[in-house]
Amino acid sequence: MERILFYILALIMIGFALASVMSRRMLRSVIYLLFVLCAVAGVYFMMDYNFLAAIQLTIYAGGIIVLIIFSVLLVHHIEMRMEIARPTRQLLTALACSLGLAAFLSVIYTYDFQVSGPGPGTEVSVIGAKLLDYGEGGFILPFEVISVLLLAAMVGAIVIAKGTKLSENKNEVK
Amino acid sequence: MPLRITENIHNWLFSVMPEGVASLVEMTLIAVVYLTIFAVAGLFLVLLERRVAAWFQLRIGPNRVGPQGLLQTMADAIKLLTKELTGTEKADKFLYNLAPYFVIISALMALAVIPFSAEFHAFDINIGIFFLIAISSIGVIGILLGGWSSNNKYALIGAMRSGVQTISYELSVGLSLLTMVVITGSLQLSEIIEVQKSGWLILQGHIPAAIAFMVFMISGTAETNRAPFDMVEAESELGAGFHTEYSGMKFAYFFLAEFINMFIISAIAATVFFGGWLSPFGITESIPELGVFWFLLKTMALVFLMMWFRWTFPRLRVDQLLTLEWKYLLPINLVNLVLMALLVWLNLTLRL
Amino acid sequence: MGSEAIIVFFLAGVVLVTGANFLSNLISPKSDSDAKRAPYESGMTTIGPTWVQFKVGYYLFAILFLVFDVEIAFLVPWAVAYKGIGAIAFVEVLIFLFILGLGLLYAWKKGALKWK
Repeated sequence: MERILFYILALIMIGFALASVMSRRMLRSVIYLLFVLCAVAGVYFMMDYNFLAAIQLTIYAGGIIVLIIFSVLLVHHIEMRMEIARPTRQLLTALACSLGLAAFLSVIYTYDFQVSGPGPGTEVSVIGAKLLDYGEGGFILPFEVISVLLLAAMVGAIVIAKGTKLSENKNEVK
Repeated sequence: MPLRITENIHNWLFSVMPEGVASLVEMTLIAVVYLTIFAVAGLFLVLLERRVAAWFQLRIGPNRVGPQGLLQTMADAIKLLTKELTGTEKADKFLYNLAPYFVIISALMALAVIPFSAEFHAFDINIGIFFLIAISSIGVIGILLGGWSSNNKYALIGAMRSGVQTISYELSVGLSLLTMVVITGSLQLSEIIEVQKSGWLILQGHIPAAIAFMVFMISGTAETNRAPFDMVEAESELGAGFHTEYSGMKFAYFFLAEFINMFIISAIAATVFFGGWLSPFGITESIPELGVFWFLLKTMALVFLMMWFRWTFPRLRVDQLLTLEWKYLLPINLVNLVLMALLVWLNLTLRL
Repeated sequence: MGSEAIIVFFLAGVVLVTGANFLSNLISPKSDSDAKRAPYESGMTTIGPTWVQFKVGYYLFAILFLVFDVEIAFLVPWAVAYKGIGAIAFVEVLIFLFILGLGLLYAWKKGALKWK
């Protein structure tokens, strides 16, 4: 049962990942990407990693996708389809992609994966205790550094979005 | 899940059928029960909204179809089912048809996590509240898609407003719930209710809890796009907002989901702040069957509060709406979280 | 019910929407005209493209949302584990929220929270 479910999810992921790259309409690509992200969340749920799955849903599916939709709508002429590349380029891209895939697969299949023992647990309370642990193996410093990182991201975004006068376009809607 | 009745059904199913079939049948039963709840609650809330609105405006409201108009919304639903499904020419058909799925599925999944009573609780996931936050952040994508793919200007503007409004207020919903998690120390909804056996959380956490409750109700109302935060579908300026181009049954999904979301927000508030299915001061503790009654009573009181908001406050402008969230609610929420942390640290919470 | 509830409720939603669509398609009347396929704009004919460019303000709020969303995701485990830990956890979250509060203050002062 689990195995079947995993293969279904994997198929969804691969299928929609391809669709996302190959779709010629921008917003549809975004939605295919959303399906991929939701399927990843599904895999986390299967592994009983509920917290990670919920984070995947809130931040990636609910946050990043909305952000991408907004940025797509910032673009002119969204209704137009993306142009198809020339055959030589297509060939080169296909070659590069299959090379990448080959490298990936060869690493995965040659590496001797060890079955990991039971971890410290995926309970939120365990994660929280680890985050607040200042002893060995604790993550108290990364937890604080994250806030600095988020601050930097916020400042950066504001500078980029506010700094240039992008918004002087007569077509824009208030 | 097993209520004594459901436990009996469960045992009976597993006794007459092989295990695989029995669990399949059981899941189907649960799904059917929840779909029924979904539909009935939606229809009932629509009627309630109309009656309450009429009451506030000194009208009578729908009272012709069935006793007290109880069958009115049923008739409306049948009417909607028989209406033609139209669409615009340039619409992105795939996304246009996809949008209702997002809205309905996210509402249904949120409903699954809500504890109606100790036993009547389909899905007691260990990240309860966070799962609710996660699921509700998916719903907005349905609205954005529906509005964009309709190829209608009203719909597009409505959807964009809805997007920016929902994501903003989602932060306040999340943070105010998190404030309460500091007391409970658990995200699982059954455990949150367990903690409240020694006093509802709004009493246990007194001042910060009351602030969190107010913030939650305000941002919950905003997240469901209800008046006074109904910029999204401001009838006087945007037609019907993001679902302008949806007709018949497809419109009904959005309409239904909106009311179910109102129910869900009230149910979360009732569960997290007012003890869920626990009776006040444990007066009916010996009769656990009354849990559903207390839960629905509390939830309906909060639903009524949200309807009251609607007929009390004028609609906000977009800029006022965002100012309220980013300059008032969010800073208040962050300070409130620290206050609550201080309270729990110094053990100043009240316990009965 | 365990995690399979997610599948059950997902399928239930799909069945609900698909089934009702199907039923509606069966019994609803069908007619077609140019006017019906045109977007509804209170009786006016649409002028110009519908899918217009939106202003950057939406994007700005989305990115601010994302930052705070990530913050909430990190605060969740903190809130759950907080009770048993006490002083350290309190000081830590104070620093965490202070730094993020600085970000909010910066956005405020820069006028990023103003809708124009």
